[in-house]
Amino acid sequence: MMAFLKKEWMELCRSGRLLVLLFLFSLFGIMNPALAKLTPWLIEALSESLAQAGIAAVSVTVDAMSSWTQFYKNIPLGMVLFILLCGGSFTTEYQKGTLIPVVTRGLSRRKIVMAKSLLLFALWTVMYWLCFGITFGYNAYFWDNGIADNLYFAAALTWLFGVWITAFFLFFSAAAHSSTQALTATGAIVMGVYLLSMFPKFGRFLPIKLMDGMSLLQGAASYEDYSVSIAAAVFLIFLCIIAAVIFFERKRL
Amino acid sequence: MNMLALTNVKKGFGEKQVLRDVTFSVPEHSIFGFVGKNGAGKTTAMKLILGLLSCDGGEISVNGMTVCYGNTKTNRFVGYLPDVPEFYPYMTPREYLRFCGEISGMKAGEIKTRSEELLALVGLENENRRMRGFSRGMKQRLGIAQALLGRPKLLICDEPTSALDPAGRKEILDILAKAREQTTVLFSTHILSDVEHICDRIAFLHEGKIVCKGLLKEVRAKRKDTAVELELERPEDAPLLLTAFSDLKTTGRGRFLFENAGRLPELFSFLADSRISVLRIERREASLEDLFMEVVGK
Repeated sequence: MMAFLKKEWMELCRSGRLLVLLFLFSLFGIMNPALAKLTPWLIEALSESLAQAGIAAVSVTVDAMSSWTQFYKNIPLGMVLFILLCGGSFTTEYQKGTLIPVVTRGLSRRKIVMAKSLLLFALWTVMYWLCFGITFGYNAYFWDNGIADNLYFAAALTWLFGVWITAFFLFFSAAAHSSTQALTATGAIVMGVYLLSMFPKFGRFLPIKLMDGMSLLQGAASYEDYSVSIAAAVFLIFLCIIAAVIFFERKRL
Repeated sequence: MNMLALTNVKKGFGEKQVLRDVTFSVPEHSIFGFVGKNGAGKTTAMKLILGLLSCDGGEISVNGMTVCYGNTKTNRFVGYLPDVPEFYPYMTPREYLRFCGEISGMKAGEIKTRSEELLALVGLENENRRMRGFSRGMKQRLGIAQALLGRPKLLICDEPTSALDPAGRKEILDILAKAREQTTVLFSTHILSDVEHICDRIAFLHEGKIVCKGLLKEVRAKRKDTAVELELERPEDAPLLLTAFSDLKTTGRGRFLFENAGRLPELFSFLADSRISVLRIERREASLEDLFMEVVGK
């Protein structure tokens, strides 16, 4: 399995995907505080035209909270880009038949799934906390992170949501034949969960609640409100990984 | 001992029955040619041997062990060269061989010596580029090196020569002939001259069944008696000859085909007695091509 992990790592570095991801997530990390910092200036610059349109521009105060708002607004896009960039992890190998020599050489299929999952989860973790760390650093420099409650817990929840999506993506990659299928299916699941979450009855149980970190930061929600959705997400993550292994064992390569 | 044995193997995809009843065996240290038209089911049979597909019926054994679908243990005896070998374009040939060796649990030192040995065998020892941009022939050669890395007892090559130019084909055939000292080779093809060059045994696959198999010379002997081609110096002598030998087939002006080998001495003495001068007498070898056409019923 180490050999396969090494190969995955080499693929990540030499295909340039690692660099692109590092760049994107650093950019996101910088953009959050930058946008917050620029907001008052933007409003001032536009105030005249806004006044003409009948909107009174009041001076806005920005603080760490504005930057964190940006963070939670932007991170879904980060997730989408992450999944898109990793979209071919399994399916390119099916299409080119590069896994056939690996399997016929006796590496068990379970280990292939495990190696690929491990790498994707690790990659998401590193990228996410990189983005978080950069935003955190700037916020601490410009303002004060102290005004945000439950900062780390809220961030961990969003990270868990990313793991959840990645797990679904893994499962669909093991089951589907092309990356389009895997990406569409993953997208459909997320959309479905979004739609379901509109019904207040379900909202509490769905992993999508994990994305609502802002309520925690503002102190409008407490740890307990998330316990069910955390359990649901963890359960689904394990289920997806097990299902991915089962499907992959039977896969025609 | 048989390195590979297929017994009454069946495989279908949905409605289509690709292999109806395939039975053949490959003895150790032979080069076995697996011949069939495109789409005859050669690749399917090979994937069954590798446990990449599941059998609908029958049994396959490699080195005495039964093959099962999925993670089959028999694969440690087998080296496989796919019809279109694809590698990771971001690796160099050496890195790829190291990756393959590590997966199969070879020791680092052994991987290194074996890689150098094999890269020299396939003529890629000076290739340090990444594999992006490798030609088909280079990939095919690296594919053989990759397949031979673990010193397999059975080397399975799926149409290794089909897409190559004549020079590339000869190289691959030479490599396979050399590989025979170390291993048993099963290779599929529809190019019959390749089979005649290096195989000692063959099997013809047609419509999901083995229609003809055995030692190359036995299979050749199954063909009807060999014929003799005859060309006269003066075509005017033709009518005279034809009156005496009505079973001569005319194939051109002053040219005949004589398939009745038993009457050859008679023909020669007639030619001598009648002082008919001959330009050419040639025995026509039964080619595998003819035989193949015969067994597939065309």
